[in-house]
Amino acid sequence: MTTTRSFWTQIALLVVIIAVCVFPFYWMVTTSLKTQIVALEAPPVWTFEPTLNNYREALFEDGVLRTLINSLVVAVCTTLLALVLGVPAAFALARFEFRGKNDLWFWFITNRMVSPIVLALPFFLIARNLGMLDKHITLILIYLTFNLPIVIWIVTDQFRGIPYDLDEAARLEGASQFTIMRRICLPLAMPGVAVSAIFSFIFSWNELMFGLILTRSEAKTAPAMAVSFMEGYNLPYGKIMATSTLIVIPVLIFALIASKQLVRGLTMGAVK
Amino acid sequence: MRGQVPRKTIFAFIGPAVIGLAVVGIAPLLYAVWTSLHFYNLTKLRRVEFIGLENYWTVLTDEAFWQAMGRTFFLLGTALPLQIALGLGIALVLHQPGLTLVKTLARLSLVLPMATTYAVVGLLGQVMFNQKFGVVNQLLGGADINWIGDPENAFAMIIFWDVWQWTPFVALVLLAGLTMVPGEVEEAARLETKSKWTVLRYVQLPFLLPGLVAVLILRTADTLKLFDMVFTLTRGGPGASTEFISLMIQRVGFRGFDQGLASAQAIILLIITIVLAQIYIRVFYKEV
Amino acid sequence: MKNLRNLCYSAALAGAMATGAAADGHGWSLKDAAAPYAGTTVDVVFLLRPGYEAIEAMLPAFEEETGIKINIIKHPYENALGEQVRDFVSGGDLDIALIDLVWIGNFAENEWVLPLEEVQAKFPDAVDPDLDIDDFFPLVLNAFGGWNDTVYGLPFDNYSGLMFYNRCMLEEAGFDGPPETWQELKDVYGPALTKDGKYAFALQSKRNETQSADSFARVLWPFGGSFLDADFKSNLMSEESQAGLQFRQDLMQYMPDGIVAYDHAETVNAFAQGDVAMITEWSAFYSSVVSPDTSKIADCVEIAPEPKGPAGRKPALGGFSLAVASQADEDEQAAAYLFIQWATSKANAREYLERGGVPARQSVYTEDGLEDFKFVPALVESWQDGVPEFRPRFAEWPEITEIVQEWGTKMMLGEVTTEEGAQEIGTRMEEVLEDAGYYSGDKRLAQ
Repeated sequence: MTTTRSFWTQIALLVVIIAVCVFPFYWMVTTSLKTQIVALEAPPVWTFEPTLNNYREALFEDGVLRTLINSLVVAVCTTLLALVLGVPAAFALARFEFRGKNDLWFWFITNRMVSPIVLALPFFLIARNLGMLDKHITLILIYLTFNLPIVIWIVTDQFRGIPYDLDEAARLEGASQFTIMRRICLPLAMPGVAVSAIFSFIFSWNELMFGLILTRSEAKTAPAMAVSFMEGYNLPYGKIMATSTLIVIPVLIFALIASKQLVRGLTMGAVK
Repeated sequence: MRGQVPRKTIFAFIGPAVIGLAVVGIAPLLYAVWTSLHFYNLTKLRRVEFIGLENYWTVLTDEAFWQAMGRTFFLLGTALPLQIALGLGIALVLHQPGLTLVKTLARLSLVLPMATTYAVVGLLGQVMFNQKFGVVNQLLGGADINWIGDPENAFAMIIFWDVWQWTPFVALVLLAGLTMVPGEVEEAARLETKSKWTVLRYVQLPFLLPGLVAVLILRTADTLKLFDMVFTLTRGGPGASTEFISLMIQRVGFRGFDQGLASAQAIILLIITIVLAQIYIRVFYKEV
Repeated sequence: MKNLRNLCYSAALAGAMATGAAADGHGWSLKDAAAPYAGTTVDVVFLLRPGYEAIEAMLPAFEEETGIKINIIKHPYENALGEQVRDFVSGGDLDIALIDLVWIGNFAENEWVLPLEEVQAKFPDAVDPDLDIDDFFPLVLNAFGGWNDTVYGLPFDNYSGLMFYNRCMLEEAGFDGPPETWQELKDVYGPALTKDGKYAFALQSKRNETQSADSFARVLWPFGGSFLDADFKSNLMSEESQAGLQFRQDLMQYMPDGIVAYDHAETVNAFAQGDVAMITEWSAFYSSVVSPDTSKIADCVEIAPEPKGPAGRKPALGGFSLAVASQADEDEQAAAYLFIQWATSKANAREYLERGGVPARQSVYTEDGLEDFKFVPALVESWQDGVPEFRPRFAEWPEITEIVQEWGTKMMLGEVTTEEGAQEIGTRMEEVLEDAGYYSGDKRLAQ
């Protein structure tokens, strides 16, 4: 008797959890399919004739497509750069002994905590002086401030998990450290590298403040674009939700792919 | 013998990352320090002049700055306990045996909120919490609650979205901790006592602590960073009721154009962040 | 008043000179004038508002005739200043500045924009002999495009505050017409129209430029108050200013809850949905409240000038001019000028009006067949004697408006009294002005 009751309670709780997590997405997608008049219906309606007009307008008339491409270019490039710089550093942190290693480690983790506005102010002035505003490369570089710590963190953790004997054997055969990393450790660390890449991508894709301050039109990112619909004499709610849907779908797919590793990534390896 | 490699090799591996991060992470900070010591207004660039610590003095004596700081920590103080309580509840539900399929579904849906673009969460908030055509008031039985236009309600709404987005994170972190408890220990404990609380307190909690510490550190940092969601949802309003510290600095720097003052605010925020990070990390993380 | 006359004089002179310069080339045509600049791209910031949509719809004709490409970057109003400042301080791509009247002092003093005369002297062949600068409403030209007796921009997206009212709701409550005075609005219309979840009035008051321009300043002037006195000290503690601010507090009982979160969109929407009987809004929103696509009460919309206060009718004045950016290269400057001249021209005013824009050309409002544009009489009346310094237009405004926005909303929320708030704004405002050198005599007292 008690088991069936707790069984049903458990089911009910799980259903509530799922519903609360998913409902805003349901509402986002349905609103994106509403015309302006339907979207402003009070109280809101749940059944209506859907239209794809908002998507068509957003993508092709308002240039959301281009901002999505910008976001994609920036997120992919910054992720690759973070990997190229971060993986060897992670290898060194995991494998070598040297003075100041702890301080270096502390510095990396602090970077993860600094509010972007702290960097956005001076970075704007610097980019302005160097004529680097509204360029993809500027975002690609500044996103390193949060991507590089993530990559270094997760991958260091992964390298530590690889038995040291393997390197030793290779070293006795005369392999350089670089060869050891590339041939022996990297293949084994691939899961960690992949997870850090996904994280780096997600964080870059989701970023708003730098996108807002450092770009104008050429390199404008999708979140910055979505924000710019937020005024006018008539807030186009359907279109805003359509743009939001387009922005959110890729990250959700990536997040689901990496769902097993998500916690580890978000806690920078503190929780396995 | 382990790890003894020539300095040149070490540098070759770690140098590029350090230099890269220094260029994008430290150089701007030095520049911010320079700016903060000057009268530096974007619309008055002809009048850039050294004014010493005046900007810092203005910040330190500015009530509004400390109010924004207080508001930020108040948000942390209200949202985080909720996240931990709800997260623990969810983790315990997911930790119970059986119902594999539904539980997998639940775990997957938990992933969604925390991956959502923060700016989109704010936009969604605007749509769902609108007083007239928002679905939230409808679901509350046709309530007529003015969410966005009332200072307290707006704050509550921010708490709601922060909790919505980050409770799943806490839940999954704690769930990971729960699964670390060796099965036989947990079973033995359950035979000893019927009280779930006792099991939680004496058997499971030690395994949850590292996760809780990580949550504490990261949520503190993220609350100090909080910008996107609030910017798209309330822009800090009504009045200043949801103006958190990052929003305030953005406003001073890019709407008032006083980059000097904003830089001073940013440097003070940075110092607070580093001090907190130092304390947290020195106290809790000792693994390296 | 003297400034205004000087300004008109110099503008007229500029116009005359320009006309003279191009006089010998009798058959001036846009096509010929633009020929040297075909293929040039001009970058400009536009807002998401009806006047911009109107010109965008007309744009293909211009681009086809001139071969000049206009690259429009759209921004919400609240981002538009920041975007442009960031572009200009970094020597960016913008070739035209979109100037709200409160930004003109800033843009002019930073020399981000060129005086009209200078542009015309530089490109005499580009000047349309039919420019007729005197045809602009003098108040509008002076306020939107002029600073320190120099014309920089030509008025493009032009507003006056108007009262929009829902005739059907008013009739139902037994009123034949709108209130004549603010007092009447509050004491008579307020109680009668606020019931059953409907409200008599809504005053957009969000902590944005909206708070200072549409809400705070709107109650100052009609009651005889102002931001500054003749010595540029705060005038907010004066009896008149306080009366206005207190009036706003009292009026709030007839407005929807959470009015401090209402920006233009929310206010216009509340009116268009039939929830609010009257609003005082910019003329620019006319087209959206009378369009059945966006308004449930399109047939009930009527327009009147804003109500009078003890100090008379002092309607809100706002609007945007377009000016040539100094950072543009020669070809871009010429092409930018041609576009500005075309967009604000007498010849295009009628089409602009019909597509939802509000031109500042006097001539167009004397034409026949304007009955459909109900806002015209009220608009023309408002532009006869508005207050150019409705909000001070000096370079310090961006800083001051932030202060007004913060404390103005705090007042409305009841977090501070009108005296406390006014005191606070006054002190901070004077600090800014002191810093800028107005009190030491370094800077002319111009607003």
